[in-house]
Amino acid sequence: MSDRTPDRVALLALPALVYMVIVFAIPVMVLIGRSFFGPSGLSVTPYIDFLSDGFNWRVIFNTLRTAALTTLVCLVIGYPTALALSWSKGFVQAIMLVAIILPLSVGVIVKAFAWQIVLRRDGIVASLLMATGVWDEPKLLLFTETGLVLGAANIFLPFMILPIYSVLKLIDPSLQHAAATLGAPPVYRFFRLSLPLAASGIISGCSIVFSLATSMYVIPSLLIGDRYQTLPTLTARAFLLMRNERLGSTTATILLFLTIAIVMLTAWLVRRREVQT
Amino acid sequence: MQNSVLEVAGAEKAFGSTTVLSGVDLAVENGEFISLLGPSGCGKTTLLRIVAGLLSADRGTVKLSGADITGLPTHMRGVGVVFQNYALFPHLTVAQNVAFGLKAQQISAGDIRATVAKYLDLVQLTSMADRPIRGLSGGQQQRVAVARALAVSPKLLLLDEPFSALDRKLRELMQIELKRILREVGITTVLVTHDQEEALVMSDRIAVMNKGAIEQFAAPGLIYQKPASRFVLDFVGHSTRIAGTTAKTTDGLLAIETAFGTLHAQSGYIPGSPVTVAIRPERISMSMAQETPPSVNVLSARLTDIIFQGSKYHLLFENQGDSHLLVEAGRIPEGMAVGANVHLHWSLEDTLVFPGAQE
Ligand SMILES: Nc1ncnc2c1ncn2[C@@H]1O[C@H](COP(=O)(O)OP(=O)(O)O)[C@@H](O)[C@H]1O
Ligand SMILES: [Mg+2]
Repeated sequence: MSDRTPDRVALLALPALVYMVIVFAIPVMVLIGRSFFGPSGLSVTPYIDFLSDGFNWRVIFNTLRTAALTTLVCLVIGYPTALALSWSKGFVQAIMLVAIILPLSVGVIVKAFAWQIVLRRDGIVASLLMATGVWDEPKLLLFTETGLVLGAANIFLPFMILPIYSVLKLIDPSLQHAAATLGAPPVYRFFRLSLPLAASGIISGCSIVFSLATSMYVIPSLLIGDRYQTLPTLTARAFLLMRNERLGSTTATILLFLTIAIVMLTAWLVRRREVQT
Repeated sequence: MQNSVLEVAGAEKAFGSTTVLSGVDLAVENGEFISLLGPSGCGKTTLLRIVAGLLSADRGTVKLSGADITGLPTHMRGVGVVFQNYALFPHLTVAQNVAFGLKAQQISAGDIRATVAKYLDLVQLTSMADRPIRGLSGGQQQRVAVARALAVSPKLLLLDEPFSALDRKLRELMQIELKRILREVGITTVLVTHDQEEALVMSDRIAVMNKGAIEQFAAPGLIYQKPASRFVLDFVGHSTRIAGTTAKTTDGLLAIETAFGTLHAQSGYIPGSPVTVAIRPERISMSMAQETPPSVNVLSARLTDIIFQGSKYHLLFENQGDSHLLVEAGRIPEGMAVGANVHLHWSLEDTLVFPGAQE
């Protein structure tokens, strides 16, 4: 074991490194380069142009807002699910895990179309809200932000549940008992014990879902349409419809840096927690 | 029992079809330190969890200072627990662990700080107050767990095998240290252990448990000298055992026929019952003299082995056959060597008799 020097360990990561450089790093470099190099050489004009248009700020806001709402819905549904998963045993747990992981094998497009059906004026959600008397008249959920967030949350839910579950299952159950014997009531135990202990899982889950949600393209295209632009849909429009590569690479770069900032922020949050504990 | 802090009555518990507790009664007096002693799996932890409210019994009641707490949730009971693995909160420092229970109550920040300081001082961890839990030694972790449990001033403290994670030397040290701390606080304590020495050293009284029932609840000396059952005899300490059959009782003296001759005991069995005579090995005296010593119970046997045990010797004897008799002595009498024929004798009070002839 002792002769495994760090150099040789690093060697194991080489295939992944080569692969990522070829299929990811080089194209991204090219993309970023294109946003800065125009016919008149190096300039930041596209960025200035883009950011001086109020509509584009709206697009950035839409992107972050949808991602934040999606993350919130995933967290509210995902945390109790992860908790149930960590409490369950044997067969029940296996069934639950399959139910969470299997939907990942269904394509995003298929799921998005399914949500179109669910969110229709005569869809199951509208019918349910009508039947329970929450709504007096059928409304369209499709092509609304609510519909988009519901659909996106459904698709990204496993990425919230699994990181939280992986942390929860390592928590010693006797900690809860110890807290109870110290006179701590359930609500206090939840906020002072359960949540802090699960924090690293919650932070990872949120950062994964948030990153996925800021860069989703197919889901907003099918569930909300062109009226509601986000950075990814705008990028696609620029490349595919407007044939404006410079605009497309600019929006793509902005999206990239937003996502990197979020991932780094969460990584820092997690590290700070680990230093504390 | 006006003074009982803890009173368990008729506690029964089964997991599925396995009965783990079959009617346990236990009363612990104010300020007392008692041990639940028994082999692993006999239901000690289960009983402790029922008292703490972490598990509900199928039948029976738990009373704390006279109040029925059978249905009360754990956090409302005021029963402190030091868990087998200490269950310290890994995301908090030593001081924050001790403060955890206090912060759940309506106590001012200043009072919390003072209480935490007091209990850290009691367990001599003041210098460690701001350390994270990770990296503490086993002994330090145990002291944090004790301080944390005591800080909320419980009416009763339960300790579940608190020394099992420590090595032998440290264990002995911590036993003395913990006894000092608990005496200083004056709290009623129930210790769960499978280690008889630990129970003998620490307890005012010991409840010996076997298969989900308490076989004897008495002071350590009584448990050792007058075990109430064959199980207690075997579980606590060594003994020398001789199978026999009871004969007539004359003048209050019960005669028992054994392979070593007739022995005598006090208790009243009907003639013809199969019994086992047991003697604690250090209560047996040895003599090399030709004439038999004046004692009601004398037998002669051949010394077959001497085992040095550090502070004492174990001597093994046999007579015509496979019966090995164990004698414990502080030193080997002059001239005694393996192969010697020796008279073994002991008093009537030290002669214990149990039904059933199994050595
Ligand atoms: N939650 C449980 N489910 C099923 N069986 C259990 C459970 N807890 C304990 N037992 C069983 O009950 C018996 C007594 O356990 P326990 O009280 O932990 O014993 P001890 O603490 O004396 O070693 C053991 O045989 C154990 O396997
Ligand atoms: Mg146990």
